[in-house]
Amino acid sequence: MKKSIIVFLLSFLACSSVLARSTGCKEGNCDNGYGKWVYTDKTTYEGEWVSTKKQGIGIETWPNGYIYKGEFKNSVWSGIGTLTFPDGSTYEGEWKNGFMNGQGIFTWSDGKQKTGIWKNGKLQE
Amino acid sequence: MLKKNYNYKIKDLPESLKQFIGLIIITLIVIISFSILNGMFGEGDELVKRMKIEEERIAEERKLNKLISSLPSGILVTFDGTDHYKLTDEVYEQVCNATKLIPQRAIMGANFLNFRAHELYTINGNKIDETFVKWDQEKGKCFAGFTVSGNNVGVDESITISGEALSFLSTGIDTRVYFIKNF
Repeated sequence: MKKSIIVFLLSFLACSSVLARSTGCKEGNCDNGYGKWVYTDKTTYEGEWVSTKKQGIGIETWPNGYIYKGEFKNSVWSGIGTLTFPDGSTYEGEWKNGFMNGQGIFTWSDGKQKTGIWKNGKLQE
Repeated sequence: MLKKNYNYKIKDLPESLKQFIGLIIITLIVIISFSILNGMFGEGDELVKRMKIEEERIAEERKLNKLISSLPSGILVTFDGTDHYKLTDEVYEQVCNATKLIPQRAIMGANFLNFRAHELYTINGNKIDETFVKWDQEKGKCFAGFTVSGNNVGVDESITISGEALSFLSTGIDTRVYFIKNF
């Protein structure tokens, strides 16, 4: 009886530690192709992979509500994409090196909009 | 001669009375000693005031902990239009006062609108100097922020990012700022 309790507890601990560290490719091919990667903090990326890097079109979802849908280059947000903020505000436009860079439209959650040229996340007035 | 007389008189006193007088003397010595020590090292009213403030703080913390454990685990928001648990104005203030932590993704999200802060944060190994979460009584809103500092290409910099804390994560044990709106 004692033995079975110890075995049960040990297997429970092993399972929970495995689940807690469950990160990696959950679906598809995350080397070359289309796949879904889940990080330890529950951030997910679902999209195209080239040589184990995010490359092409994909969606990155952060646990706190940020969603980027668009182009990736070398695992970084680059190209045309849309970032949705947790409150519903969006930026739709060009990205480079993970930041808003180029032509884009920022729409606040109340509907107010601003169009312009962005440089490293800042609107150039 | 006089001293001797007093000694005899004391010796003649009944045993119970002698014990009682002894007890009174010891009590007086203890009280006087404590008064002297209090005068030398004690802070009197100031200390009592500080103790009262500390007791009030502990009581407030207990109240907040009770509130946190009664909230559902998951994302708590202050704005409309999501499936997450919506906080009432009153609970929003209480959650704000109880929250101390800002996780990495919330910091990364706030850094989107500040490239220099992002650079500093990345160069210094995602290190944050200090974080704050405070309720603004005047605006009736919760503000959260953080300071990143370090050396960026030979220049020592320190940047503070702050904004409205619009969502929180409730873990069942504590709450964390989940979205800082700094735009």
